[in-house]
Amino acid sequence: MKTETKQDPVIVAELVTRLSGDFGERAVTTHAVREHHSHGEGLADAALPDVVVFPHSNEEVASIVRLCHLARVPVIAFGVGTSLEGHVAALYGGVCVDLSQMNRVLEVNAEDLDCRVQAGVTREQLNAELKGTGLFFPIDPGANATIGGMAATRASGTNAVRYGTMRENVLGLTVVTADGRIVKTGGRARKSSAGYDLTRLFVGAEGTLGVITEIQLRLYGVPEAIQSAVCQFPDLASAVNTVIIAMQTGISVARIELLDEVQMEASIRYSKLEGFAVKPTLFFEFHGSQAGVREQSAAMQAASDEFGGSAYQWATKTEDRTRLWKARHDAYYAALAFKPGMTSFATDACVPISRLADCILETKADVEKSGLTAPILGHVGDGNFHLVVLFDGADPAQRESAEALAKGVSMRAISMGGTCTGEHGIGWHKLDVLAQEHGEAVDLMRMIKRALDPRDIMNPGKTVPL
Amino acid sequence: MSDLLGVWRERVRAAAAGNEPLRIVGGRSKDFYGQQLVGSIFSTSAYSGIQDYDPTELVITARCGTPLEKIEHALAERGQMLAFEPPHFGADATLGGCIAAGLSGPRRPHGGAVRDHMLGVRILDGRGDELSFGGRVMKNVAGFDVSRLIAGSLGTLGIILDASLKCMPLPRAETTLAFELAVDDALRRINEWSALPLPLSASCWFRDRLYVRLSGAASAVSAAQHHLGGEETENAPTFWRAIREQQHAFFQVACSAPLWRLSVRSTAPYADLGSEQMIEWGGALRWICAAPDDSAKRLRSWAKEYGGHATLFRSADKSAGAFHALSPPLLALHQRLKAALDPAGIFNRHRMYTEF
Repeated sequence: MKTETKQDPVIVAELVTRLSGDFGERAVTTHAVREHHSHGEGLADAALPDVVVFPHSNEEVASIVRLCHLARVPVIAFGVGTSLEGHVAALYGGVCVDLSQMNRVLEVNAEDLDCRVQAGVTREQLNAELKGTGLFFPIDPGANATIGGMAATRASGTNAVRYGTMRENVLGLTVVTADGRIVKTGGRARKSSAGYDLTRLFVGAEGTLGVITEIQLRLYGVPEAIQSAVCQFPDLASAVNTVIIAMQTGISVARIELLDEVQMEASIRYSKLEGFAVKPTLFFEFHGSQAGVREQSAAMQAASDEFGGSAYQWATKTEDRTRLWKARHDAYYAALAFKPGMTSFATDACVPISRLADCILETKADVEKSGLTAPILGHVGDGNFHLVVLFDGADPAQRESAEALAKGVSMRAISMGGTCTGEHGIGWHKLDVLAQEHGEAVDLMRMIKRALDPRDIMNPGKTVPL
Repeated sequence: MSDLLGVWRERVRAAAAGNEPLRIVGGRSKDFYGQQLVGSIFSTSAYSGIQDYDPTELVITARCGTPLEKIEHALAERGQMLAFEPPHFGADATLGGCIAAGLSGPRRPHGGAVRDHMLGVRILDGRGDELSFGGRVMKNVAGFDVSRLIAGSLGTLGIILDASLKCMPLPRAETTLAFELAVDDALRRINEWSALPLPLSASCWFRDRLYVRLSGAASAVSAAQHHLGGEETENAPTFWRAIREQQHAFFQVACSAPLWRLSVRSTAPYADLGSEQMIEWGGALRWICAAPDDSAKRLRSWAKEYGGHATLFRSADKSAGAFHALSPPLLALHQRLKAALDPAGIFNRHRMYTEF
């Protein structure tokens, strides 16, 4: 970790004093709170901010950023700390802006199918508040992340096949720019606003171009009918080939998730799933009209049958469905519990759908060679899958082979015309592979960074470091 | 082709060095769109051809000068389409122009916009450097989303060399229903229907008739048709093409006056803005013909009130501004981005705003 460009401690101390004066108890410098804000999930690589501030409004965020701009001190936006690639580590110290107290749903426009929320609203909170409106917000990363964090990392989840990712579902933003100005991008009109599509630029910029404080989101009508199904396969190739056929023939599926046999064993144990074998498994969900889901699900069953899928089980009852998808969402925790005491991180390759089988099977062979335990799970309908690499963090040799395994997955995805990250982002863990993937284009991204954050104070050292 | 790009690189570098503005053109089908046409013509039409299309991937990669018609034909042959249903506005429309203009057709509210289908793009920036962003995968969060920024940037940030677009299977079944409805009822109904799990793929209201297109699996389309009622329309593909290409009577007859495009939230109530309107996109897009002098302010403030903006889409006189003015902080961000990608400001100068 680089520390040589940290701001002069005297200047930082003055800034902390000023923030304490302005924010009172909402500017916290205790070690415990700074430590809590020094890392996300994923690998522990804590780097402490000098102070954590809890603003309540856009204007308060702007006032913090203006002070940081003048003092040239880093600003790191923080939601609930569930990012996976070191996005929130305060590599150069600075001010952590914890947006969790900006957690109001500002408006729900049921007729327009949209809403506006503050950045600290979590996805579960939003859906709880939408209950009774007949609407829901479909993007569901594993964690109960904040909408601000999800916008900043361009998150997706199991529903992306049908509903897209944050990229497609953010209609507009309020952003505090690097010089502390409040700007609104996009709007309530479906079509993007006049001018450049700045919304899309801030979405996924990982807090390196500005602090997202409000988000206008697209909502969807709760489907008339939802049907889930599960199908188990004799081998991984059959499961993946079923997915490929389904996508290529345009079967309209809302979710299509793969769990390999290792992950199934972990999930059966952790989520107490009954009636499943330890075999590669696909979870499906269909959304639509009664007639539509019946037709699509039958088409999927036919596709599964072709590849030897057995025990195609329907789950139409809400409680069965909930249990199934809870197990899928808990898969990461199930993997961790599978080997207690182990350290872990997740890979995030995404490849063109036709290369998915090759990529997963070659990766599986790598896992076997490495001797490590690394369950495979993924949103395979998008060509995206994860390895949860489990290793003994105290054993340097294991750590090295875990990192080599992860790097191998990224490089394979890139060589197959894919990406090292389909949804977790770059943070600072994947800076080297970003350069491999994009080459000289990273230089242009750097120019954009410099244009929007000339003093390099917005989450410095991440995504596209100067 | 690589020789051609070599020539282009030199041309761009020389133009940047000499502060010579370049006006990037493909098929010149959208010359009418935007603020001003400035600079020496830089034609992209020679850089043409589909580079990669494997239907099983649901992705097509093609060069900027490829005729849009050729791309759509290649897709249709394999049962696929561009789900944003782009308007051509001329037989020579190219892929580059389609992306740069960022205009989508009737399917847009249901199938997504141009930018939503941009998986990757390669551009020649204002320094004459070739840069690739994104790729051919459905999800990619590696770095800034420059591909989306390029869509709709009217060629002001770089020359689009080639792009990878997501394609979608053609719907198995499609039908268009017509309903006799006054405008208020039509807006209410179409907004209600939009919230239901119906396979809607387009809507258009004009002179007390609401047209609704349904696309998808046969059973879903017939179930929706049964649910909605209405009267099945003949020659529906021709009808929607005429809407998309602005060959419909509304655009032909009424539009000797300038044409405005109002992008608002779909539930914005109908307002008498002085002349006849056509309403698309479930209420989110309103076309109106009105003289610019007295109408610009009125239309823009009405659109703003309803969460959107008004574009002077076709007009000989653009003095009212083709696009809604940007707030000073937003304008500053635009100028900084423009300077980052095109430091000498040579590409399509003033095409979007006169400030850059």
